[in-house]
Amino acid sequence: MTSTSATKVPIEFNDKVVRQFMLASIIFGVVAMLAGVFIASQLNFHQLNLAEWLTFGRLRPLHTNAAIFAFVGNMMFAGVYYSTQRLCKCRMGNDTLSNIHFWGWQLIIVAAAITLPLGLSRGKEYAELIWPINIAVAVIWVVFAVNFFLTLHKRNEPSLYVALWFYIATIITVAMLYIVNHLSIPTSWTHSYGIFGGVQDGLVQWWYGHNAVAFFLTTPILGIMYYFLPKAAERPVYSYRLSIVHFWSLVFLYIWAGPHHLLNTALPKWLQLLGMFFSLMLWAPSWGGMLNGLLTLRGAWDKLRTDPVIKFFIAAVTFYGMATFEGPLLSIRAVNSLSHYSDWTIGHVHSGALGWNGFMAAGLFYWLAPRLWNTRLYSVPMANFHFWIGTFGILLYVVAMWISGIMQGLMLNQVTADGLAMKNTFLDTLQAIRPLMGLRVIGGGMFLLGWIVMCINLWKTIRSGTPYNEVREIAVLQRGTADTMGMKETFINDPLTYTVGGLLLVFGWIFLPPGADIASLICACIFGYMAVRRFQQTSKSWAFWYEKLLHNYLPFTVLTFVAVVIGGLIQIIPTVTVNSAKNVEDRIQKLYEPLELAGRDIYVSEGCYNCHSQMIRTLVPDVMRYGDYSRLGESIYDHPFQWGSKRTGPDLAREGGARPDSWHYEHMMDPRSMSPQSNMPPYAHLKEKPFDQKTLPKKIAVLRQLGVPYPPMDATEIKMKALEAGVKIAEEFKKSNIVVRPDCELVAIIAYLQKLGQFDPVEEILSKNGQGIPFPLSPVIPDEARSAAVTH
Amino acid sequence: MDPNKPTSSNEPTLRDHVYDGIQEYDQKLPNWWLFTLYIAIVWFVLNWVFYYQLGFGSSDTAVIDQAMAEMQVARDKQMETITDKKLWEMSRDPAVLAAGKATFMTPGMCVTCHGTELNGMLAGAKLPGLPLDDQQWKYGGTPTEIFKIVRKGSPDITKGMAAWEIVLGVKKVSEVVAYVLSHHHEGEPITKAPDSPPAGGAAVAPAAPATSTTPASPVK
Repeated sequence: MTSTSATKVPIEFNDKVVRQFMLASIIFGVVAMLAGVFIASQLNFHQLNLAEWLTFGRLRPLHTNAAIFAFVGNMMFAGVYYSTQRLCKCRMGNDTLSNIHFWGWQLIIVAAAITLPLGLSRGKEYAELIWPINIAVAVIWVVFAVNFFLTLHKRNEPSLYVALWFYIATIITVAMLYIVNHLSIPTSWTHSYGIFGGVQDGLVQWWYGHNAVAFFLTTPILGIMYYFLPKAAERPVYSYRLSIVHFWSLVFLYIWAGPHHLLNTALPKWLQLLGMFFSLMLWAPSWGGMLNGLLTLRGAWDKLRTDPVIKFFIAAVTFYGMATFEGPLLSIRAVNSLSHYSDWTIGHVHSGALGWNGFMAAGLFYWLAPRLWNTRLYSVPMANFHFWIGTFGILLYVVAMWISGIMQGLMLNQVTADGLAMKNTFLDTLQAIRPLMGLRVIGGGMFLLGWIVMCINLWKTIRSGTPYNEVREIAVLQRGTADTMGMKETFINDPLTYTVGGLLLVFGWIFLPPGADIASLICACIFGYMAVRRFQQTSKSWAFWYEKLLHNYLPFTVLTFVAVVIGGLIQIIPTVTVNSAKNVEDRIQKLYEPLELAGRDIYVSEGCYNCHSQMIRTLVPDVMRYGDYSRLGESIYDHPFQWGSKRTGPDLAREGGARPDSWHYEHMMDPRSMSPQSNMPPYAHLKEKPFDQKTLPKKIAVLRQLGVPYPPMDATEIKMKALEAGVKIAEEFKKSNIVVRPDCELVAIIAYLQKLGQFDPVEEILSKNGQGIPFPLSPVIPDEARSAAVTH
Repeated sequence: MDPNKPTSSNEPTLRDHVYDGIQEYDQKLPNWWLFTLYIAIVWFVLNWVFYYQLGFGSSDTAVIDQAMAEMQVARDKQMETITDKKLWEMSRDPAVLAAGKATFMTPGMCVTCHGTELNGMLAGAKLPGLPLDDQQWKYGGTPTEIFKIVRKGSPDITKGMAAWEIVLGVKKVSEVVAYVLSHHHEGEPITKAPDSPPAGGAAVAPAAPATSTTPASPVK
């Protein structure tokens, strides 16, 4: 399609920034995996919690953030920068922006590596970094976006290849997710409260958390697969049509699946069901990506024997298929009741992170290094060794976690012969999975060993060559051959009309009151039939429209944004905009007293949520073990929510008043004294430090701003209240021959723990309750008219 | 959501356009793949309509409420059989004692606070629990009173013993109580601690008097 008369000019690609990102990814890969192996070992050997800044609770966020943002982030940027320049036949948009992007991102990583072990945390998974770093991330991401879209703007290739579709989806969606989930009001330079609380926070967090997996760990890597796999295999992509269908269904459906992290919790039923069914519907679109990867190799399977790059890519795509089959399975509420909070989820995540991301990264780097340094790979046998030890490492890891998760889940559900009590204590189940947690360390260690072998191999490769920037003679694209589509052509056409119309009817089915809902469903079916008929008659014009869309990056980006924004809007707006009184069910939590609030912030900063949930699910074994199931209102003032996602220790939703203060004291000083063979880190350091009195008034002021109905109190009053409460606890301790200073962090966190689960019946408090975030329309909540959602 | 159906032939044709050397087949979608997508959609619709909209099946909380109610009935029935006399009898049954001792001595359970000798001491140091081998009982010393405190915990749990019924169940609690009773004699004198809650001990004591210096001082 390129004009033959066009002038050719030599263009030098910016491969330097690709090399930089690649090396950063390799190095941070080592860091992330080392941290992983270390914290996995801590689970069996509590002695490895060597210092307060090396406890599991503080290092686990370091591991996850390093793996996601430092390792995969840098790998993604390397792949995107390399392939985008070639697919657009031009140099990256702007060299300064490329530089700012690279160095800014590395600075962010360094800042994260310093702040997380110091216990500076927002207390939400993969969103732990404190607000100044959040702003830096958003700014650097925008720099990346501007640089990328500048490249698209000046491209010399009129049509956008499928890899670029995925990059576009990644850039706009991550920006949206990251910004919304990090909206906060600062209370100091290092601390802030997120604007959402309780269920709203839970919903937004997992809309973000799940789609961090989707749009940070999946879509950019699929784009990388679409470029580098056919390149390495030297075969055509299996199916262009599959690319279209799986891309659009993937980006549209993925956003809806977040609530599957909150199944069987107090989350409103309609959201749970949407999360579950959209996850199931997501199975096929995910496998579309796998098929296009695997089947591209048809006719070139022999390369699997000889080319390590192909080995890594194919294994990665296979792990992707495995993980995306497991994901929908785990999203089924019945399966989830067993698997959630257990190691099964950990195994699932790592078959994605190690198998899909880790092996895609390895394949990419083995392919890139010889090209970027103009040389040959130093050693194929070493790469093969890496492949095999990595594969066995992942399998060992994943299988150990399957067994561990299922076994612990079943043990936790076992009841005594008369069916009236739990058969196993939590500690019993922990002892049972210890050998499997050991195997996990070995599996992870094998993967790390393979990675280090890769480092040596690539180091030798790099040493044997010199940095090389590719220069190509490129025909300059003449103006007017692309990017000519107007608003009308973008939005007024058959494919879009039928899609939007059908979706509106489907939403009517979900949201309309009983009676009208079924009518809307019937209309949707009829409309869908009409759409199929229309498509059969005019499929050529549909295909032509799409071809044209591919020549127009802005309309394409706008439509992608529309596709990804819908799910979030529909799930989140009803929950965050209604008067929060509607979100409380029959109970509302008692406000934290100043000392308890100080304790809560310590709980968050120590990362207790990494091992303890605060959510008793609507499941009989949960209720038998931990008490009455949690109501929405019982965490409505929690900024951030602390429902948790993993129970390495027991649930704490009703911990308040279940044990003596002195038990908590002994347990914090040395967990093994009260819970023999526990693997919890000791928190004796909390005894030495005074809790933060200075910022308490500011914190309470911010919470008031966010709708938590604290009475007006001045700063002295708040500090005095906190101190008096501390003195009371310390005085009580004296009787048990325990001497603590009344203003220490340990006293504060015990006060907080003893508060957990205290509530008022809702009738008494409704009038005092704050309003939701103002919104012009009053949204419909489907649960209001459905018996399946009745809670009491 | 794009019902993109194949148009004509089965032969995969290559698309004209080449992207940096990468070509694409213009090939129809695998049928089995399409069916997994369709089945998932149909499954969604059916479930939503029948379970959620038409209300077939029970809500999660209804299931729990029913299960818990049934358990309460069974528990009450078990409780009916527990009397002072029965517990003293159990304290003389070696099989019950063995079971009770095993539970008592399980790490993390009774032994953690009350010690292996039941004297609330470990190597000369005082443990959080009260001694169980003397005749002073803070919350009442009849077998059913002891039974109650093991089941439900002390009146103010933040200052005393935790509730064990959820963890152990009625049967094991009764065995443990029998084991404790085996260190005592039926009819021996029972004294109250100076800081015992007034009459019956059932009412929640706001805070124990703060002056106790006796060996049986408040639970640590």
